[in-house]
Amino acid sequence: MEPEAQVTVGEARPETGTGTPPDVLDGPFSTRQLLRIDEALRLADQGTGLVFSVYVGGLDEPVREHAERLHRQLAEPDRSVLIAVSPNQRQLEIVTGKYARKRIPDTYVKLAALSMVASFGGGDLAGGVIQGLDQLASHAGKG
Amino acid sequence: MFFVGIPAAAVLVIAGLAAAGSRGSGGGAKRYRPGRPFDFTPVWFLGRPEQLADSAGTALTAGAQASALTSRKQEQAGREAPASGTGGASDRW
Repeated sequence: MEPEAQVTVGEARPETGTGTPPDVLDGPFSTRQLLRIDEALRLADQGTGLVFSVYVGGLDEPVREHAERLHRQLAEPDRSVLIAVSPNQRQLEIVTGKYARKRIPDTYVKLAALSMVASFGGGDLAGGVIQGLDQLASHAGKG
Repeated sequence: MFFVGIPAAAVLVIAGLAAAGSRGSGGGAKRYRPGRPFDFTPVWFLGRPEQLADSAGTALTAGAQASALTSRKQEQAGREAPASGTGGASDRW
């Protein structure tokens, strides 16, 4: 069983008043990287009208089906693009919804995936995610 | 004494500075190295919390979404067959 995935919401989570740092800081990214990913997500969403989300954590076998289940959890799956990264399994899954797929054909998604895994292979998780978001949003164009 | 003590002190100072620097940089983030075990809390980034089917926007249990989320839509998402028309790509590194 995977540990709990912390859902981040772009903006800072409500303070609990206990002075403890948010759980997302236990994740694989530093504060600066979190801010950069947040900015990339915001720009991708605003620029395309699609809904981008990024999951970083373990994926159960078969990993593709797990990624698709996560994708269906989003409020608008048809307009959503999920980037699922499993660092320990060294696996990347990108799932596009029915409408999103028309905006970003699988060929371009594969190209973005190629550049992302190049960064991941060099140990740069945040850089790969940001690069992938940028490429996918560029291909999607304005919504 | 000079030939041993001073170089040893210099080595200790440099090692201490390097250790302090590596601990302080990157906000305490662990560094991912491909092929090595990497323990971290899974994270899911969304632009807005309402983008998740469960509008409460609470923490999810990866791989056990049907029990973790309570909304009807979420329960359906866990049971339904994969929706046709989804696309994307897979890759490894």
